[in-house]
Amino acid sequence: MKIVVIGGTGLIGTKVVTQLRQRGHQVIAASPATGINTVTGEGLAEAVNDTDVVIDLANSPSFEDKAVMEFFETAGRNLLATEINADVKHHIALSIVGVDVMQNIGYMRAKQVQEDLIKKSGVPYTIIRSTQFFEFLAGIANQAADGNEVHLSDVQFQPIAADDVASFVAKFALAAPVNGKVEIAGPERFKMYEIVARYLQHSNDPRKVVPNDKPAYYGGEIAHTALVPAGQAELGAINFEQWWSKQLQ
Amino acid sequence: MKRAKIPAVELPSPSTAILEQERKVLLELGNDITRVREKNDLLTLFKQRIKGLFYISHTIVTLIDYKDETYTPFLLDNEGSPIRSHARYQEMVRSHFSLNEPFIQAVLRADGPISFLLEDIMDKPQSPPFLRVNYEKGVREILMTKLMKEGKPLGFIHTYTDKPEGFSDEFRSVMKGIAPQLSSAVSNIIKNEEVLKKEKEKSFLLDFSSDIATVRTKVELRRAVGAAIRKLKQKSGYVIRRINEDGTTMSPYIYDLGIQQHDQKIINALEQARYLINDGLQDRVLNSPIPLLLNVEREIQRGITSTYLQNWKAMGFRNFVGIRLRNGEANLGILLLEIEEINVQLLQGICAQISIALANIIANEQIIRTQDEQAFLLKFSNDITQARTKLDLQNAISTVLDKALHTKLSMIRVIDDDGIHMPAFMYDSTLFTKAKVDFDKMMANPITIGEIYTSQVLASKDGLVFNVEEELKSGNAYAKLWKTTGLKNMYGLPLRVSDKNIGTIWLLADRLSQLLLKGICAQISIAIANIRANEKLVAYKKQLEVENDYLKEQIKTIYNFSEIIGGGDQMQKVYRLMSLVADSNTTVLVLGETGTGKELIARAIHNASPRKDKLMVKVNCAALPANLIESELFGHERGAFTGAIDRRIGKFELANHSSLFLDEIGELPLEAQAKLLRVIQERELERVGGKQIIKIDVRLIAATNRNLEEEVKAGRFRADLYFRLNVFPISLPPLRERVEDIEALTHFFVQKYSRNTGRKIRKVAPKVIQQLRSYTWPGNVRELEHLIERSILLATDGTLDDVYIPQPAETERPGQAYLLNRSLEEVERGYIIETLKRCTGKISGAGGAAEILGIPGNTLHSKMKKLGISKSDYFA
Repeated sequence: MKIVVIGGTGLIGTKVVTQLRQRGHQVIAASPATGINTVTGEGLAEAVNDTDVVIDLANSPSFEDKAVMEFFETAGRNLLATEINADVKHHIALSIVGVDVMQNIGYMRAKQVQEDLIKKSGVPYTIIRSTQFFEFLAGIANQAADGNEVHLSDVQFQPIAADDVASFVAKFALAAPVNGKVEIAGPERFKMYEIVARYLQHSNDPRKVVPNDKPAYYGGEIAHTALVPAGQAELGAINFEQWWSKQLQ
Repeated sequence: MKRAKIPAVELPSPSTAILEQERKVLLELGNDITRVREKNDLLTLFKQRIKGLFYISHTIVTLIDYKDETYTPFLLDNEGSPIRSHARYQEMVRSHFSLNEPFIQAVLRADGPISFLLEDIMDKPQSPPFLRVNYEKGVREILMTKLMKEGKPLGFIHTYTDKPEGFSDEFRSVMKGIAPQLSSAVSNIIKNEEVLKKEKEKSFLLDFSSDIATVRTKVELRRAVGAAIRKLKQKSGYVIRRINEDGTTMSPYIYDLGIQQHDQKIINALEQARYLINDGLQDRVLNSPIPLLLNVEREIQRGITSTYLQNWKAMGFRNFVGIRLRNGEANLGILLLEIEEINVQLLQGICAQISIALANIIANEQIIRTQDEQAFLLKFSNDITQARTKLDLQNAISTVLDKALHTKLSMIRVIDDDGIHMPAFMYDSTLFTKAKVDFDKMMANPITIGEIYTSQVLASKDGLVFNVEEELKSGNAYAKLWKTTGLKNMYGLPLRVSDKNIGTIWLLADRLSQLLLKGICAQISIAIANIRANEKLVAYKKQLEVENDYLKEQIKTIYNFSEIIGGGDQMQKVYRLMSLVADSNTTVLVLGETGTGKELIARAIHNASPRKDKLMVKVNCAALPANLIESELFGHERGAFTGAIDRRIGKFELANHSSLFLDEIGELPLEAQAKLLRVIQERELERVGGKQIIKIDVRLIAATNRNLEEEVKAGRFRADLYFRLNVFPISLPPLRERVEDIEALTHFFVQKYSRNTGRKIRKVAPKVIQQLRSYTWPGNVRELEHLIERSILLATDGTLDDVYIPQPAETERPGQAYLLNRSLEEVERGYIIETLKRCTGKISGAGGAAEILGIPGNTLHSKMKKLGISKSDYFA
């Protein structure tokens, strides 16, 4: 099967490409670096031609509200147009758990637009909504840091390892299209401040976590349960400790 | 892992000389490599420099493509390669070989160049096929040298040898030495190629841009696009489709079908078609910001039924790129180009230019069309200003609708004077020939301004469009009628003159230009207003004429005969007689002294008769030479007598269906009288010398100042003729008997002659009137007229205060001497004659001379006898 992975050189993309290649599929790791650009359309048509499955793992190069929206809108539109053209049988996109309940956040609005474009496109699809990755913990700590203190809420948090995400993506890519969304999450649920504190502790970070009861994510106020799956979700195999030990290798 | 033979692992220590030699070679090669800028340079290096130093059969360079982890040939030795004749050679050249297999993984892992005996590895399950291909062409060993860029493998140099002893250690060592330089050389080549390609694209776009900047017409655009696409890919066909005015279809605008020959029928079909935009393909292209790669077969399988796909398949087109053409946010059309790879930037560059040109052309066409429309409106305006009647207008409207809008007039209704009813003013019944009965039935229904559709149209600003299908569904009774024409829309527009509704116009058409429609309606409104005004004017005029005639009639009956002056009793009697006789065909005999206006009365009778439209013919019987009278009255044939060189029509014939005025009838010779009598009796005549009898219808008016009765007695006038003429005698009173009219007549003549002579006489002195009234007027009105004329000429200022009435004293003065010498008898005789003359020959009885002379009639008779006074004395 020919599979194109948009964002195939990124954190999840690299892993997905490797996993799929290992299973003997012809995989194209698409990214501007490999000459395939979903925003300008460069190289896209040739890459997607005769392709069965397209996995969209691309992320915006900028996180500023307008830029994010523009990226997901343009890239999504171009990619789906190309896929329709090439008669792609399955479109897989990686989205975020709770994206629809966090529309006060610009990035979430953009991801929602991406999801909506997919639903409307007519291309058979599977939207994978994932919780945050363990790999984000450092970034979460940094954005909430105020000097030596890290102010974080007790919002529920159920991070997943990038390797698990990649495995799920690969699995869904090879399965039949769901034409709907599936949710994936880490094996354990925490309060956000707990897991970040644990992460800082493990990495010998001197900063101290100060818990509060104002649930927020990247500056936007959110519900306590916004970041965790509401219903059934597929859970990753790698817990925090396993993930951490792998980071040390 | 099955490791290939790596002979270079343990090299024997080389001697100093060899090392020195190697160093020299490396240095030289290094210099050469740094000069490498393009593929050919590198090829030359291998062929001429390395081959000169070491034995190898051929060399190729492959590059890694990380997006799918493969490597693919980049540089080929087109001359030295022994495998060029291999059947799979072309396949090899195009192939992407996986990096995910033991052979190439071993190469990637190796520290430096690594060689393999083909025999050992070529048949391993995952080994790339080129190994076997080479082996089959006699190659025995391969040396793979990894090329690195920024710490990451970039590609490989494959060197091959067909010698069983393989590669020399020296060569391996040199290859290892020059590998870094070769790596940067290959990177340079790639970068150079990229730069060149970019530059080529830029100059291409620049050329195209300057080409397209001059484009003003479709033909120029075709030329520019054609040239650009030929430059891009020699034989590509393309089509630019433009969105049609309806906004729902697209049609080919310009195209080139490439170099292949195609069936003209298919081309025609493609050319003339209007393709629905939302056909599943065109809309996709229009909605996609990036160019789309399309495959004809796939699109057909997808279920897109647009005929062009089938036609393209038949024509052999397989793949094409579709890009939208848009100006700003507005889609103009699409470009479909037969090409298999997409250079996004280049295509978007081209399309941006084409879009601008297309927008310009469209704008240009719009301007031309607008100009045409305006010119047409101007002509229509001219046509319509000349329309004075409904027919003119209908012709002008039919022409303009036919030529400018390609439609026919359904109906114009104009609001009646009552402001409510709207009768049909004009319509083209040919439009509804298919529904004749229905149309007539519909036409019979009276329409008012309150009618549902009419009221909507009248209330609208610029009219309304009724979709026939929709109206049909909503149960509009008219829609059934409209439907019979097969046209899609009914345009109802108000006709207005300066904001006042004057009516409605209804046009059935598929599409109409709003601008034209507005212009035409304005013109039609004004024209209709004009025509209605004109119609009203004509009606008023007619009414006035009738009124005028009636008034004239009344004036005539009141004043009787306007050109005759005088309202005295005597004249009223005359007028009454004239009124009585004028309408009939009765012969009239006008009697009266000389100068009493007998001709005037004759003319008035004629003018009051039904014959007035024809000219009254006048014959002065006294003025005719006796021998010509007959010919004058009855005409003559050619050669009737000496001098009759031509046929001549007589006065009788001339007066056919009119009146003949025989003046001075008493002077007619007896001979002529007989002939005249016959014509009057028979109402037919013969021309002199002619045989043909001519029927005539002539009304006779005769006049004389003689006493015809006496003439008859004297035998000078035929009695029978006299009785024929004296059917209806009208006697005109002498002026001295109608003194009351003298003042009016005086004023009339004063006015007449002061106008003629240019003197402004405003007043007539009362003394003058008195003088005039006391004169006896033997010459009657004529004498008065001439007297006034003379007096006006002699008048010195604006008042007529002196008239020159003949003085009896003066006339007698010259006779005084004569009187003194005359005998009594002579005096007596002269006086009797004079008195007789004044009494018009009457001797005895009332007004007779005997009475004036104070003697009995018998005495006068005997005196006259004695003095020898005969009639000729006092009638002379």
